[in-house]
Amino acid sequence: MEIYSTRFGPIQIEPSDILRFPEGLVGFADCREWVLLADGLEPALAWMQSLDRPALTLAVVSPRRFVPGYRMRLNRRELAPLKLDGLKGARVLVIVSKSNGSLTLNLKAPLVINLHRRLGRQVITNGDLPLRYEVAGEAHILKMTA
Amino acid sequence: MLVLSRQRDESIIIGDNIVVTIVDIRGDKVRLGIEAPAEIPVHRREVYEAIQRENQRAGRLEPAEARSLGGKTAAQTRHVSGG
Repeated sequence: MEIYSTRFGPIQIEPSDILRFPEGLVGFADCREWVLLADGLEPALAWMQSLDRPALTLAVVSPRRFVPGYRMRLNRRELAPLKLDGLKGARVLVIVSKSNGSLTLNLKAPLVINLHRRLGRQVITNGDLPLRYEVAGEAHILKMTA
Repeated sequence: MLVLSRQRDESIIIGDNIVVTIVDIRGDKVRLGIEAPAEIPVHRREVYEAIQRENQRAGRLEPAEARSLGGKTAAQTRHVSGG
């Protein structure tokens, strides 16, 4: 089937590619169907594309790749709707944003996906993981001009 | 907004299956107990709104900006040369 992304244009997907987020994302309760797209240029990067809002595309990465010692602390209640068997079969992704010239990762509210059931949820972690964890400062500007 | 007065240990029921109980009152701090199905998210409002704003901000990130992540991982220190 074909879906449309404002950012990437028309994209061919299989129905089995669709991830269901029954509560949407925080503040986007209507966005319940998503697909995860690999970035064609940067292997560390993927994109969550909303099927409900073609203009909503979010960059995501695996937090372990960028955050030394990354660990989530959650209430059991936060994970319960995903029907996971422990955390195996779970994929954790964090949303990338930009603040004051630096790329930041939202460690406070990661996306947790049950790959087997194609179910996902944006969970809110306990403790004081930051909403904006800085990953790239000036180094990235140098790289872009290379 | 519906405003109701409750004392300690009294409750409010929302719909059929959400119950809010006053667990403790100490000075100007109230401890609330919330019973709701797990699929209904319950969070402090300011936390929820901060995450909502951050999701919106993330939606504005351009691919070219995001792709610069390639230069930075937890496992490596790399010198960027040239450019």
